[in-house]
Amino acid sequence: MDGKVIVVTSGKGGVGKTTITASLGAALAVQGKRVAIVDMDIGLRNLDVVMGLENRIVFNIVDIIKGKCKIKQAAIKDRRIDNLFLIPASQSDDKDVIKPENMVWLTNKLRKEFDITLLDCPAGIEQGFKNSIAAADEALVVCTPEVSAVRDADRIIGLLYAQSITPKLIVNRIIPKMVESGDMLSHEDVVEVLSIDLIGLIEMDDRVVVATNTGMPLILQEDSKAGMALQRIALRLDGHPDLPIENPMIQKSFWKKLGSKLSRKN
Amino acid sequence: MNHNEDPPVKLKGVGDSLWVSVDPSLPIEQLKKELIKPFERLRHLAINARVIIDTGKDDQENNDHLIEQLGTYLKAEFQVGHVTRPTPPKRSVNRNRIRQQDMGNAWHHYRNDGLVLAGRVRSGQKIQARKHLIILGDLNPGAEVIAGGDIIIMGCLQGKASAGQPDNEEAIIMALEFKPTQIQIGGFVAAGIADSDGNQPEFASVEDNAIVVDNYKKGNPFRRLAWPEVR
Repeated sequence: MDGKVIVVTSGKGGVGKTTITASLGAALAVQGKRVAIVDMDIGLRNLDVVMGLENRIVFNIVDIIKGKCKIKQAAIKDRRIDNLFLIPASQSDDKDVIKPENMVWLTNKLRKEFDITLLDCPAGIEQGFKNSIAAADEALVVCTPEVSAVRDADRIIGLLYAQSITPKLIVNRIIPKMVESGDMLSHEDVVEVLSIDLIGLIEMDDRVVVATNTGMPLILQEDSKAGMALQRIALRLDGHPDLPIENPMIQKSFWKKLGSKLSRKN
Repeated sequence: MNHNEDPPVKLKGVGDSLWVSVDPSLPIEQLKKELIKPFERLRHLAINARVIIDTGKDDQENNDHLIEQLGTYLKAEFQVGHVTRPTPPKRSVNRNRIRQQDMGNAWHHYRNDGLVLAGRVRSGQKIQARKHLIILGDLNPGAEVIAGGDIIIMGCLQGKASAGQPDNEEAIIMALEFKPTQIQIGGFVAAGIADSDGNQPEFASVEDNAIVVDNYKKGNPFRRLAWPEVR
């Protein structure tokens, strides 16, 4: 059976697409799937850095499409996780060298070899975005609880629907404390505006910075909240769609909980 | 005499017809000459127009001949449609009834030029309607709707809405939740009102050269209309 192609997109830059793509890929591979991650950001690649594979790049996606190499030559196997492969973007080419029909051709080949192909879509709605969604079966829209990110995600959702792709929503970088004090949009607010199915909520996590800089997958760090949330999203993507979504909450200490219970009685 | 000071021929638009007041004491040839000037300017409007020729208050009956002659002349020169004399005021009760019947017919035979859409309008999407626009859904921030007539959002209005484009200041914008980024009615623009109560249906209209937003339930502007009108 052919594998599926999932695009991770957001519209706005810097909301965590690349980190989420790398982590979901790792989580799915750990669950036993054969996963390819494709960096679609031609000219501004960084998925290789996030995955810690930048020193092993020989060929890239443009070379595959131009016929200079085979997919097997360009796909880099992850250092830690079996079954996880990266197809890097080209750093030197212009993003117009790839056309949507090239991507359809490439993903058709990838479907045969991999169970799941994740496309890391560049920010914006230009050529790179069009290339990414032309070939995708499913889409994950990443949004942070900010008005600007919601606005861009809304536009992206409209464009995905126009391509007959029904997207699912990941709300990233939630800070429960700020949501509780009313300084940040809650995920309910975001879902109300975007009105698409939610697939996961990810809390703000300092460990993401460490993971990104060192290339150590987030999901392999045991106490990372974001890593755990991403593992659950991977499960929902692959065979467990009904796994309940956990709402990030403030971890109140035992004494505070006790105090609030006592004060409620009064 | 009084009416020597007035111009011998006056023309104004009344409802769907052109109302021509003439001075019956003047010779018919002079009246014809005087009629050329106003009708020349409105030549494109005069074609097939309904024309009412008013010869003043004093005995209409004797002026029938004059009206008929002027009518034939206007039909030949400017291709006007139907030419009549003013309806006598004593028939007003009857006329009222006819008007009511007309109203009934007006919506029976009315061709719908409202655009009704269901669904959510998302950021970056732009909807243009020639006349009225009704959206059964929400208008997200970043989305834009433009209508020649009214805009009615059966949901939350958070984007930009422009009603009565380009110059209909009678148009209204109404939404169940009224939180627009910006609204326009005709040539007037207003930035979104942050403190509007989103739980009540509200509408915006132009009053005294400014856009005013009011609670729709309290300030329903159409409640006082005598009978249903086509907008």
